[in-house]
Amino acid sequence: MARPMGPVRLRRTNPVTVIIGIVLCTFIIYFLSNTGSSSRPTASKSRNVNSKPVPKSNLAHIRRDVQRFNLNHVTITKDPIANREAVLILTPMARFYQDYWDNLMKLSYPHDLITLGFIIPKNKEGNAATMALQAQIAKTQKSATNKFRRVIIERQDFDPPLASQDESERHKMENQKVRRAAMSKARNSLLFTTLGPDTSWVLWLDGDIVETPPTLIQDLASHDKPIIVPNCYQRYKDDNNKAAERAYDFNSWQDSETAQELAAKMGPEDLLLEGYEALPTYRTLMAYMELDDKDDVRAEVPLDGVGGTALLVRADVHRDGAMFPPFPFYHLIETEGFAKMAKRLGWQATGLPNYKVYHYNE
Amino acid sequence: MGILDRTRSKSLPTGLSNGNRFAPEDDSQWLTRPFALSRFQPRASTPATRRRRKLVVRVAIAIAVAGLFACFVWPGTASFISIFSLGLLSSDNDGLLDTVRYYDLSNVQGTARGWEREERILLCVPLRDAEPHLQMMFSHLRNLTYPHHLIDLAFLVSDSKDRTLDVLIERLEDQQADDDPKQPYGEISIIEKDFGQKVNQDVESRHGFAAQASRRKLMAQARNWLLSATLRPYHSWVYWRDVDVETAPFTILEDLMRHNKDIIVPNVWRPLPDWLGGEQPYDLNSWQESETALTLADTLDEDAVIVEGYAEYATWRPHLAYLRDPYGDPDMEMEIDGVGGVSILAKAKVFRSGCHFPAFSFEKHAETEGFGKVGTINPRATRNGLTNEIQMAKRMGYSVVGLPHYTIWHLYEPSVDDIKHMEEMEKERVAKEAEEKEKAEKEKKIKEQFGDANNQWEKDKSEIQNLAKEESKKETKAGGDTEKSDSQGAKKEISQAKDEAQKVES
Repeated sequence: MARPMGPVRLRRTNPVTVIIGIVLCTFIIYFLSNTGSSSRPTASKSRNVNSKPVPKSNLAHIRRDVQRFNLNHVTITKDPIANREAVLILTPMARFYQDYWDNLMKLSYPHDLITLGFIIPKNKEGNAATMALQAQIAKTQKSATNKFRRVIIERQDFDPPLASQDESERHKMENQKVRRAAMSKARNSLLFTTLGPDTSWVLWLDGDIVETPPTLIQDLASHDKPIIVPNCYQRYKDDNNKAAERAYDFNSWQDSETAQELAAKMGPEDLLLEGYEALPTYRTLMAYMELDDKDDVRAEVPLDGVGGTALLVRADVHRDGAMFPPFPFYHLIETEGFAKMAKRLGWQATGLPNYKVYHYNE
Repeated sequence: MGILDRTRSKSLPTGLSNGNRFAPEDDSQWLTRPFALSRFQPRASTPATRRRRKLVVRVAIAIAVAGLFACFVWPGTASFISIFSLGLLSSDNDGLLDTVRYYDLSNVQGTARGWEREERILLCVPLRDAEPHLQMMFSHLRNLTYPHHLIDLAFLVSDSKDRTLDVLIERLEDQQADDDPKQPYGEISIIEKDFGQKVNQDVESRHGFAAQASRRKLMAQARNWLLSATLRPYHSWVYWRDVDVETAPFTILEDLMRHNKDIIVPNVWRPLPDWLGGEQPYDLNSWQESETALTLADTLDEDAVIVEGYAEYATWRPHLAYLRDPYGDPDMEMEIDGVGGVSILAKAKVFRSGCHFPAFSFEKHAETEGFGKVGTINPRATRNGLTNEIQMAKRMGYSVVGLPHYTIWHLYEPSVDDIKHMEEMEKERVAKEAEEKEKAEKEKKIKEQFGDANNQWEKDKSEIQNLAKEESKKETKAGGDTEKSDSQGAKKEISQAKDEAQKVES
């Protein structure tokens, strides 16, 4: 009795198979029919063009409005808050420090006027930094208050140079050139892709600056200088385990005749770097400047080279074409070369020896 | 052999112990078991349960299909689907989506076949008092074959006194509202910025040697402002185009992109009226460096600018423009050291890494290139400029290439000298015309006189003939003998009249 029925039952299709088949068919038909047609253009059209949507094939044939920006009306003044001036904070980041983020959150400049830009190298360390940064950004941007206007995270399109191995002094300097050239490229990439038509000020703030006055932007802008740089220090514990501080950034300096003479003798591709015993430049470093009044935070000095740890620049200076040269420019590179290039364009850099920001201490 | 033996000896016991041989039987047992059980049930109940199950399955399938179909067809369920497919993240991250952007710059390097990989181009056009050229430019824009939605347009309108801005907006809006879905472009930004340029835009002041350096520097500044305000992390290419290009291939973007170079320029010529030779190299800013120029640069101070094509600076550089062969291979490449700004295709990474148009003298060159209303020069004295961006690009190790046999044509605008020449030619022409007119009138007069004489003669002739006929009729009536002599007399009269007529004629 069972035998003849067997094969019949075997041929009978399992209902589960039928259901799966139908579901699959529906999906296949759906996707086949969907890719060809433009799907819901209304959803993207309503989006503000300023939000820079990621290009996708399904954004094709959307009719976007013509955007007008009158740069004659972008003000750059002593009182940026009253004039609602947009600030772009740019950070080349190798490692994420929680202190950096906390300090950034403490800035009293209205956050809805601040756009953050980060550029992170594409290596293992960079991935970790991106993850940590994104977690913090998600936390901040989801909250209703203290939200930044926009956050742009970029990943470098070139490999970071290998960590310098110390062999000979000359080799070290050669490494320095490669490292700082890569840094310049990262800074330029970040700058030229994030600088918007409405930006008034650009604040360069390194990822390892962990302490600044909360009024940093307003304070620096109030000097009304095209390029202004505070003094970068580092807090540490001295031998007696007492808190102390020491100068950190030696890239802010006034030029010396010795340095000029040295430069004149150099080949076109040579760099005149600060802080090498082989090349005593006798430049006046802002880090060690002795001013009469140590408490006058508003004291200004003119500079020929600037450091990039914290640096406020008028957007105009960058728009005119002042960038961070990734090649020896008058024997200078990166931020020091930037100061020189700005000078060639007619913008003078200024330093604030008594206004301090603090670098992370390992 | 040993291996074979071992495998066999291994497989045999397992086969036996596991009852491999009986496996099919096992299967059939498993399949038939429920059936075997049902044998003990009342016969009628089996089909009933089976039918019910069948019904349940069918209903379930129908509901599932209908549900899926509804999901796809009904647009309101888009969010409903996303809950199933992408999880709860998206609904939570609305605030993030609006303000946070993540870009990997290694995805926008630019490749030889960008249109297939959906690479975005930023098309930059600096404008100044360019109203008369806008129509021509938009006809070029309409015809570009590169997918329009992948091209973002950026215009800089500076120091314009005519209706450039209004006309531009009007035309752009028309373009975006075109019936053809392939016409609208991607993002369009118009940047307005007045630099307060003091250099007059008329021909003589623009091309005077003294004005070149500062003019170039101002133009470089304008270009930098435009680029820095509009370049975004998703652009793979940047294309600079002057507004007054008259003729260019529709496929120019693809043609240049195909070479996969960091910076590439076509040859730029311009058509001329016949009396000037028909055509002429226009852009002399694309050149190869020469020893002479390098030596010259060493003798100048740091703010000096070497400008190509002026007698003051004889550089002896080989120019891309003069190497053109109209029948040459358009794909032929030539390494160059300076480029002209009429039409430059560059990878965005070049500009990202910091190359720009130096608004200062960089290694003795200030970059600038014609912008706005350009170009009216004496055919022999040429217009020039150096794109110093290239000097920087070279320092950074980028490839800079020109295509000597791939030509685009710049608009011809007559220079002051040309206009003078033309006026002279016009005068000559008018004089010649007047002369010709006079001549024609004279001829006409003579002809009229001719015509009168002829008419007179015809009249006289017919009258005389009539007279003769009448007379001969009378004669025939009167008598036969006198007939002959009379008719002869008549003939005599006719010949006399003829003589008279001939006299008049002469």
